[in-house]
Formats: sequence, structure tokens, C-alpha cells
Amino acid sequence: MKLLTHNLLSSHVPGLRPGGGFPLRIELGHPSELPPEPLPNYEADEEFLRRLHHVLLEVEVLEGSLQCPDSGRRFPISRGVPNMLLTEDEA
Amino acid sequence: MEHEATQLEKQHVHSVYENTAAYFSDLQTKAWPRVRNFLLEQKPGNLVVDIGCGTGKYLSVNSQVYNLGCDYCEGLIEIARKKGDEVLVCDNLNLPFRDQCFNAVISIGVIHHFSTKQRRIKAIKEMARILTPGGQIMIYVWAMEQKNRRFEKQDVFVPWNKALCSRRFSESNQSGDKGEFVHTAKGQDIHPAQLVISECSYQSSLQPETDSKHSHNMDRCLPRACCMKISEEENRFYSALGRSFRSWFFSRSLDESALRKQNDKMKHLKHEGVWANSTIPIQHSRHCSLDLGHRGALLNEQSLDDDDDVFVESLSLKKPHWSPATDVLKDLSLNGEHQSVAQSKGNKASFINGPVEDRDHICGCNKDGAGKSDASKFFKRTSTTDSTDSALDSAVSVGDQTDAVLDTKAFMRYYHVFREGELCSLVEENVPELQILSSCYDHGNWCIIAERRG
Repeated sequence: MKLLTHNLLSSHVPGLRPGGGFPLRIELGHPSELPPEPLPNYEADEEFLRRLHHVLLEVEVLEGSLQCPDSGRRFPISRGVPNMLLTEDEA
Repeated sequence: MEHEATQLEKQHVHSVYENTAAYFSDLQTKAWPRVRNFLLEQKPGNLVVDIGCGTGKYLSVNSQVYNLGCDYCEGLIEIARKKGDEVLVCDNLNLPFRDQCFNAVISIGVIHHFSTKQRRIKAIKEMARILTPGGQIMIYVWAMEQKNRRFEKQDVFVPWNKALCSRRFSESNQSGDKGEFVHTAKGQDIHPAQLVISECSYQSSLQPETDSKHSHNMDRCLPRACCMKISEEENRFYSALGRSFRSWFFSRSLDESALRKQNDKMKHLKHEGVWANSTIPIQHSRHCSLDLGHRGALLNEQSLDDDDDVFVESLSLKKPHWSPATDVLKDLSLNGEHQSVAQSKGNKASFINGPVEDRDHICGCNKDGAGKSDASKFFKRTSTTDSTDSALDSAVSVGDQTDAVLDTKAFMRYYHVFREGELCSLVEENVPELQILSSCYDHGNWCIIAERRG
């Protein structure tokens, strides 16, 4: 799973408050290589863009999980594929 | 009703795809030109998602956009993943995406697997939700109206013929050693119906897909089998199996049954003044034609009325049910036993052209058998195509009939085929957030392109 994909994902566990499913928390031990906030004028910052591109599109989560911020429900990622299916009871 | 719907889809969509996923890896399925164009017209940098992407055949069409694919079936997704696609597993009815985040969505041969109108609407609404205003969606569904015929009913079960997609077979044939299927056909005189099903044992010995040794481009070319020489006997075998495609199993839609149940209850109220006995009579097993014995009843028996034949057995020993289907199929302009299963060049007449994925499954067996093998004779009897008998007359007295009947129901995929205009109406009446831009008929499918309203 690429980080850009993660940016599009939201937990869809029923009963969350609006927007409560985003962003899912990625759980793995890898530290982020980006500054917490984009610097002003980041579009012109070649170095920043390169690192951003790398993190968004060239880094993949292979094993780990995505945790719903509101409910705490975890969606597993295995072999690079997130499984976002809810169980019949949950849905 | 939701429970029946999910159960039906579980058994006749999800588990079929999951069990047959191994065979999809070698299907050189063609990407539909219209879909390809839709994808190629996207602006570079657009976010595009294929909902129900299967093995991901559309995910590499346009490398200038961000392609994401998702599917309910883990097996298919694994195959896509191995190709390097960005994919995930999820449910069309509950998409794990934020609102309005995609520039384009494609849904190719997917929503016809939903067993109720409400679920089909929900699927479309979910896809509309994730579209950015101005974003476009393309939907392809199997049409009721095919080139030379139409389905008699809109809710059908399609048998899945593994032999038509078997890589095992084609590989071993190339090396001169006949595949397991052919061995069985020749050696033991087992009728093809059983062959279709012996997948259960067959599957366990199937090797996982490794690199294709075939030189053809996986995405573009016709199935591998078209490139091999096939013996005459195998041709007849394939033709026979191909005919089994026409042994449709019709079902009454779950929507209809729910409506009838409601009406019946109302009637009871009116005339008897009390609620009808709430326990509904247990269905005879013959009614629940998808009761696969050890798998248990498809539908919770207690939720169906006794005369609520949701599923009509086609190969049942009870004659009357099958007649309508027989008549319809008799009308079909099929060429009798020399009807080739094959997709010869430009052949659009084949019924098997209909569904997007089934069309792609057909291997190119171009030669017709000269004579009748026992296998084809058997199938001539049990299929209802050009036979003037009801299939049931002929279905009798082939040894081990019950097992054969049960077996052919394994891997039956459920489809709700769409009438002309049905998809448009569905969207116009229920999904106001979408505006239909165009609609057309394409190779046995109804197709629409719609735009998310700003």
C-alpha cells in the first residue's frame, strides 16, 4: 500500500462521527522522513518535493495495520494489500 | 432480505471467484476498447479507481494516472498485486474511501452481481460518493438482450467451466502430455458434467502461477489455448463443454420474492383477519435448487414460502420448470452441435460473448469435431440448446444423475442481467448526484458514462 492510497482511505465502521474515520493510523515501526508540516512555498522546494514524491509513491507498507482513529478498529495490511472488509456483524 | 441477498452473493459470486481465482491468472483477457479509451482520456495525475478490478487488467492501461483497484475477492487481488498493481480488498457496498476523492471510477462487469435492486443502487451511490464533482464514472453491466437472443429472465446463474480456462491443460498439452482433464475424458468415460466439477480435487494440485512462459502479452492476446493445436477429440470436448454454458439456471429475483411475500401477507390479513402463521413452511429441497448437499441450503429455509421458487432447477427431474427455458433456447440461432465455442476472429454472434469476463474466458478452439464423441452426445442431451426435447427428458438415466446435477451447480455465478434502459433509469431515479453523459450497448453489455454533479 502506497502512502498516496492511504491518503484516500477512511474507516467506514458504522456509527462514527463525520470525518471520524480519517486519517487511519498506520502502525509499523518506520519513522517518517518528512517534516510534520509542509514549509511555506513548498512547491518550489525541489528537495522537499523529491522526498514527498518518494514517500507518497515509492514507499509501500507491506505488513502492518490501519487503525480507525475513532473506533480503534484495525484493518490489516498483508503482502502490501489492505483488507478493508467489515465483518457481517459490523456492517 | 438483506441476509438472503448476502448469502446468495456469498455463495454464487464471492466463493466462485475465490475458488476460481487461480485460473484467472492465465486468462489473457482483453481490455474493452471503450474502457481503455475512457482511461486514456484521463488527465495526467488524475486519481482513478477500478471498483471490482479483479486481476487488475485495467490498472496498467494508463500509466499517467494514479491507478487504484479494489475487489471483494482476495484471490484475484493477490494476482493483481503480483503484477505490481496498487490494490486493496473491500466491499463495493461500503467503500473505504473518503468523499469526493477520485477523478474517475470504473465499474466493469461488477454491479450485475448484486442480487437486489437496492444493493445495485447502493453500489452506484457509493461510487458516486467517492467521485469529485465533475469526476466521471463508467459502468458496464451484462445485457439481457444479447446479439441473437435474450435471456428469458433477468436473474440467472451461469455455470463456470474451468476446462475452458485451464492453463494446466494447455501447458501439458504443449509438452505433449495430456492434461488431467483430457485424460479423464478419454480414459474413464466420465461425462463432462462431472469433469467440470472435479475442480475440487483438480484445484488442490494446481501449481501456483509462476512466470508465464508464453510469449504473448498477457493483456492483449486471446487465451493461450487458441495458440495451440488441439486434437479433434479435445475440440469435441470443448464444444460440448461450451454448450453447457447454455444450461442457464434461472432464478426469480429476490426483489420479486420479497414483494410477493409482502402481498401474500397482506392477503392473509385481509381475509383471515389475523397474521398468517409466521412460521413459513419448510421448502422442499427441490425448490432450493442450490442446496448443494453438504453445503447446506443456500437460503435459510424458514425465510421462504413453500411456493416461492426463487431458483428454478434446470436439470431437475421435475419437468415443468425447465420448459420455458427450453423454448427460449430453442429459438436461439445456434448452429447445432458444430457450434464452436471459439471466439473466431470477429465472431460476435456467440452467446458467450455476453458477459465481459465470460467472453474473455473462452479459449479459441476453432475446429469443430467431425463426429460425435460420447461426451458431446451426452451434452447434446442435457443441454437445451438445439434439442427439441426438454432437457429433463434427456437428463434422466445418465448414471449418477443427482451427483452430476449437484456438481454442475458448483461455481455457478449469479447475474442480474439488465434490460435496455434499466441501468439509466436506475441512476436517473435513484442517484441524483450523477448525471448521465452517454449510454450505449457494447458487445452484450449496457454501458453508461456519468458525471458527478457539482
